[in-house]
Amino acid sequence: MKDRLKSTPGAWVISREILEASPGYPSKEELKRKPVIVIECPEEIPCDPCETICPRGAIVVGEPITNLPRIDQDKCNACGLCIPICPGLAIFLVDNTYSEKEATVSFPYEYYPLPKEGDEVNAVNREGEIACKAKVLKVRDPKSHDHTSVITIVIPKEYSNQVRGIELQQKVDKNE
Amino acid sequence: MGKETMNVELAVVGGGPAGLAVAAKAASYGVQVTVFDENERPGGQLFKQIHKFFGSKEHQAGIRGHDIGYSLLSQCEEFGVKTMLNTVVWGIEKNMLGIQNNGRTYTIKTKKTIIATGASENPLCFPGWTLSGVMGAGAAQTMMNVHRVQPGQKALMVGSGNVGLIVSYQLLLAGIKVAAIVEALPKIGGYMVHAAKIRRTGVPILTSATICEARGENEVEEAVIASIDEKGNVMEGTQRVLPVDLICIAVGLRPLAELCWMAGCKFMFLPVLGDHVPIHDENMRSTVKDIYVAGDVAGIEEASTAMEEGRLAGIAVAEELGYLGSEEADEKKNLARKRLESLRLGPFGDTRAEAKRKLTESEVNR
Amino acid sequence: MSKKDLIICRCEEVTEEEIKKAIREGADNVDAVKRATRAGMGLCQSHTCYTLIVKIIHEMTGKPIKEILPATHRSPIRPITAEILAKSKNM
Repeated sequence: MKDRLKSTPGAWVISREILEASPGYPSKEELKRKPVIVIECPEEIPCDPCETICPRGAIVVGEPITNLPRIDQDKCNACGLCIPICPGLAIFLVDNTYSEKEATVSFPYEYYPLPKEGDEVNAVNREGEIACKAKVLKVRDPKSHDHTSVITIVIPKEYSNQVRGIELQQKVDKNE
Repeated sequence: MGKETMNVELAVVGGGPAGLAVAAKAASYGVQVTVFDENERPGGQLFKQIHKFFGSKEHQAGIRGHDIGYSLLSQCEEFGVKTMLNTVVWGIEKNMLGIQNNGRTYTIKTKKTIIATGASENPLCFPGWTLSGVMGAGAAQTMMNVHRVQPGQKALMVGSGNVGLIVSYQLLLAGIKVAAIVEALPKIGGYMVHAAKIRRTGVPILTSATICEARGENEVEEAVIASIDEKGNVMEGTQRVLPVDLICIAVGLRPLAELCWMAGCKFMFLPVLGDHVPIHDENMRSTVKDIYVAGDVAGIEEASTAMEEGRLAGIAVAEELGYLGSEEADEKKNLARKRLESLRLGPFGDTRAEAKRKLTESEVNR
Repeated sequence: MSKKDLIICRCEEVTEEEIKKAIREGADNVDAVKRATRAGMGLCQSHTCYTLIVKIIHEMTGKPIKEILPATHRSPIRPITAEILAKSKNM
């Protein structure tokens, strides 16, 4: 049922061009070179906690508060503090230097149950389609995150630009 | 026999984000405040808002709505705000309110009154809309986030404004499947980031689509959805049946302004703010002496704007009652107005900012 | 379910057809529809059906939505039992 709906004309998809053109999105070269914060926030909404929390001043929203967040990748050390604070759950950490063939993607996750470190899970893209298998590397859920866990998964490198989460770990009725 | 008439310096009708913000602010300057709320606990919509708020540090961005609610409540307590819960305000005339509490009615004499009664959800009418299982998105939110009850197992959301998107996300958090979100317009109404986090779970958001019918014997068992053309007419052959037991309606809100109408406030019709909206000046004062408005009743916006309007009204009332010098009050009011302005920037806020200007600049304020 | 039996006012169980009939007979505002059909006179005092009735009036008469005002709000705006009112001294 879901799959049929998805192919309906008019089903809304996130435009990758718009995301990649926004100032919070790293360049191709930066994505290759080092662990980078990826901000998928392409609309002028009044919001700036990412700027406030960054200890290195790498993320700038400034005035007016509706500016799109800009990130200075040279100042950013990819600490990831901005991931759980973003009310839009729109900040990710992509590390294409993890190993020769693998990358890691860290993303905010508020669903329960949480996956466990070491679990084999399905990684999904921005449309919720299963992109590839993934291994859960880290699950961070300290009090300071206020119930927005940050999950890090290991995936084949070629999927690092499309994987943005995992299939929900809630029990799924296989008959559907 | 209880006392039949009570004197209250500032009566706040409605203990949601706007009302509590007014109360805490005014009381912090020494105003004697009583908040009346018809629910068994204060906080209004704030305790249903389990997501982290947008905005800046001053707007408490990054903090979940219910935690903002707790901090407002503790401020109210600190400054000695009285709260009368399970209390219905059923009438208003000049500086008098009629209330009902615990099986009795009382007359409240006030110096100033703030009407912060919030909003009600717009309905959508289609065959089967009165079946059990069709409800406002806000109602589903109350069931899940306040009463911890799942309103269904599989849902259809009608409307993709921020309410529809946020409640869809909360349905998923509560372990309820979302079959689809339908949106009558050709594009989504709410923030893309909200839509994106729902899409990551595979929930389709169907634009230019609507609900045609809810089917079921005694409760919802199926929803019929279809694509619509630019005129809003259903395109034949596009109907599809979704097996759902919950249909949430999120097609906008409307100010809950009966008390303002009854008090004789003048109104302006501003669709972007939800409907007929009580005209108010830049201090949130209505066109009726001693009556102020704040929050959604003064135009549908968000909880963060409601709280800022509340603070602004709280400062203005404290000034009028002589608890605050005009110089200090002006400075504080300007800061509150600046915070409000910043929440009304950008493509989602500028039409609201424009409509609010029409209200405050209206000639009837003079 | 046929469109004809569509309920608009849930509290008083008034159908779309009944409201349309009232409008055809001259009820061109919310108050008049209320008097003719009892729509909006129930427990919820038109919280739910108000916008639906406005829409029907607008579609049938062409009257701009802006000019279709809510029915007069009178005390009590929330249901109160007669017993409670009778117990009150000042009312």
